[in-house]
Amino acid sequence: MSKLASNEYYDLVRTTNWTPRYVPESELFPEMMSGARGIPAEAWESFDEPYKVTYSDYVATQREKDAGAYSVKAALERANYIDDADPGWVSTLQAHYGALAVAEYAAATAEARMARFSRAPGNRNMATFGMLDEMRHGQIQLFFPHEHTKRSRQWDWAYKAMHTNEWAAVAARHMFDDMMFTRDSVSVAIMLTFAFETGFTNMQFLGLAADAAEAGDHTFASLISSIQTDESRHAQQGGPVLKILIENGKKDEAQKMIDVIFWRAWKLFSVLTGPILDYYTPLEHRKQSFKEFMQEWIIGQFERQLNDLGLDLPWYWDEFIRALDETHHGMHMGVWYWRPTVWWNPAAGASPEEREWLESKYPGWNATFGRCWDVITENLQKGREDLTLPETLPTICNMCNLPVVGAPGDGWNVKDYQLVHEGRLYHFGSEVDRWCFQQDPERYKGHMSVVDRFLAGEIQPQNLAGALLYMGLAPGEIGSDAHNYAWAGVGKQQAAE
Amino acid sequence: MALFPLSSNFEGDFVVQLVVVDDGATMDEVASACAVHSIDRRVAPRPGKVLRIRRHSTGELYPREMLVKNTGLMPTETIDVIFSDI
Ligand SMILES: [Fe+2]
Ligand SMILES: [Fe+2]
Repeated sequence: MSKLASNEYYDLVRTTNWTPRYVPESELFPEMMSGARGIPAEAWESFDEPYKVTYSDYVATQREKDAGAYSVKAALERANYIDDADPGWVSTLQAHYGALAVAEYAAATAEARMARFSRAPGNRNMATFGMLDEMRHGQIQLFFPHEHTKRSRQWDWAYKAMHTNEWAAVAARHMFDDMMFTRDSVSVAIMLTFAFETGFTNMQFLGLAADAAEAGDHTFASLISSIQTDESRHAQQGGPVLKILIENGKKDEAQKMIDVIFWRAWKLFSVLTGPILDYYTPLEHRKQSFKEFMQEWIIGQFERQLNDLGLDLPWYWDEFIRALDETHHGMHMGVWYWRPTVWWNPAAGASPEEREWLESKYPGWNATFGRCWDVITENLQKGREDLTLPETLPTICNMCNLPVVGAPGDGWNVKDYQLVHEGRLYHFGSEVDRWCFQQDPERYKGHMSVVDRFLAGEIQPQNLAGALLYMGLAPGEIGSDAHNYAWAGVGKQQAAE
Repeated sequence: MALFPLSSNFEGDFVVQLVVVDDGATMDEVASACAVHSIDRRVAPRPGKVLRIRRHSTGELYPREMLVKNTGLMPTETIDVIFSDI
């Protein structure tokens, strides 16, 4: 029996903008969910997806991908790689899984919004596959860490993190909720698939895959490479949507969505990917610095993509480039100093050799961030661990929900961008975070940061124990230094229990 | 007498931190309370210097004996804590 090749029927069968007879179009595609912005149906039909995939092709390919990743896992399971892995690498995996596994599962909802409500048939078709992709990413990234739960309860945070009020989880949810759950289909296509996925997941997944391969963690390398092949496909929904918006006079609106979410994604990655690539990954396995990855993936590729579409660089581009030398170092120090409040064991990454590497990648590091690490190192050497642990909370940005940080030491430039809105004082870690808030105060004004909640009496007792209880961090889960301070020349290096 | 939260932006440190003081505290007392969370933790002491308080948003330097309740600061507002010769 002869079969038509898919390219001979694809365009015809996905032409599904039928004329409804029982309900008006406005009910079938409510503006709040579709976000067509007055652009007519014919214009949306010009959506031309770069990947034309049929369901049978999709299923066959995905089956192969899963079989590949699962068989690597099965083959290497008995090698117990994790037991001998550097504790910094273990922390990398735990931070990654907790921040992303459940969030990826949630991304299926965002894809589903496009699958159901996009006015573009091609978008609906691609998003149906995108939805299945994200379910796979959620499931596989819950399954892979599960075998390690016998090793430590911190592995269980792959599932648990997003169901708690742990501060990093709150920060991640605030951003993901903004981008994925509370937007119409067009905004999701632009913010999630174009700005976030082409911009940033690329870097997390390719950056980490490179380091994983270097570190000999072939299970993780194959897992995230497998995920990335899906991301790079469904990330391409944003481009055609942007093209339609621009052709129909909506460039400014599109640009603003990109500017807002690009910055929000940058902040989230500055606390997640920055510390991982520049501090947790063992020195000998670091492929490139975080900044170099950012330069290659974000500055190189993203700039070109914006340009091709006729869009502008975000207005804060110079500030973004400047922050590449600074923000993630501050985020890292914050995570390390407040280490009892995270579900992984942060690696300080501040041994003499590592500091040399940091200084070479970030000239001036020793005179700024290094100054604080000097004091910390000295305290550890004097047996004053107590001074390396927090007795208060950092001030939290009301947009990114991360600490307000800047350069310390000789280059001290820490700044809090404050704003009084309707009588409430808000804090922001940068001018751009404050700008994001000002674009849509109604959307953001009601949110309480972890510090706001603390001051409102929601966290009891009002001390570290109360904060840990509030964040769901039980003994055996709370973070400690990944290498038991061996990097500071203290004691012997011990594997994390 | 009431608790008054402030955000401490301490010279040489990398992060702004929550410090809760009494609204009857002097600026010198506020500086000491802020120092607990920065000095000898991530900032080396600087003998011979005094710590002074500035309103972060305007740079206005407060007299050392001024009380929190007379500064016009809002709860959680950010202050700079800086090393000074006088
Ligand atoms: Fe995904
Ligand atoms: Fe995705």
